[in-house]
Amino acid sequence: MIFISILIGCILGAIVGINIPTISYTYSNYLAIAIIAALDSVFGGITGILKKEFDIKVFISGFFCNSILSMLLTYLGSKLNVDIYLAAIVVFVGRMFINLTIIRKYYIDKWSKKYEEYKIKKQRNTKQN
Amino acid sequence: MNKKVESIILMIMCFILGMAVVVQINSVNNNGTTISSNSKESDLKTQVLKMKEKYERQYNELEDLTKKLEEARQQATSNNSELEELEAKIKQDNLLLGNTNIKGPGITITLTDGKKELTLIDSADLLIHAENVLAVVNELKNAGAEAISINGERVVNTSAISCDGNIIIVNGKKVSTPIEIAAIGYAPRLTTLSRAGGTLENFALDGKGVEIKKPNNIEMPKFTGVYSFKYMKTR
Repeated sequence: MIFISILIGCILGAIVGINIPTISYTYSNYLAIAIIAALDSVFGGITGILKKEFDIKVFISGFFCNSILSMLLTYLGSKLNVDIYLAAIVVFVGRMFINLTIIRKYYIDKWSKKYEEYKIKKQRNTKQN
Repeated sequence: MNKKVESIILMIMCFILGMAVVVQINSVNNNGTTISSNSKESDLKTQVLKMKEKYERQYNELEDLTKKLEEARQQATSNNSELEELEAKIKQDNLLLGNTNIKGPGITITLTDGKKELTLIDSADLLIHAENVLAVVNELKNAGAEAISINGERVVNTSAISCDGNIIIVNGKKVSTPIEIAAIGYAPRLTTLSRAGGTLENFALDGKGVEIKKPNNIEMPKFTGVYSFKYMKTR
């Protein structure tokens, strides 16, 4: 159910995105940073599900608040002539990598456990034979 | 929160994210820019801005010094009739060269690019070209204009009006539509530019926007460039 809805959402978004007009170059900076923030919270959400501490309220608020706050910070940076968006990218992408590491470790553990169980089963089978 | 609500919220979020990603990719592709050229571009932008600031600062300094020079000259010539005459001559010459801010009666002609609704006309005819501006300036001079400025750029005897892609260059500075050509002179004669079959009427027939105004007082800035004569000498 959830996976289907995610898939439908992505496809619909892509179709609508192709058909609506593009934004001007000045604002594409803001959209880019918002996308990075949103992706960060998506990876955070996946990690949360794996750790079994996922909370939909935290996830939604993180998704929107991070995007908007990062855009505001980028705007502030452009006003102050400081590239604040670089700091935001470093933080978000850094967190993304940490979350990816957690996801990777989780699946490696899972699969290696399964493999060992499989091995033990096989040994038992051979012994029985 | 049950599963249904959760999945709908996730769908909406994925919709937003997917849309944002595709729009971003599209707009980046449209602009034909990558990250590396972006930083280069912004570098160039900041350089231009810095140069402009520097120029403005220096120009203000020059302005101050010119004022001081004038004051000093006035003090020096105040008690000498011969020098006073010379001072008046300098002032007259500066007026002729366009080195002073001036005002006077005259007309302003505003030229704007035509709208694209008129599809029968060649779209190049709708735009204001450098030659069109040149033609108007020529007509104004012919009608006895004493001073002419184009969007605040004084036309002096070294001025060139040239085409540079989609903008017009006057005195080496960019000028774009709407182009306001102001002329100081005898207004009734200057307004004869709008006569039937004249240049301005031809512009209007081409689909360009032409507007003539007769203000009582036109203020014109002085020529901001520099005269430099190397080869010309009096015989």
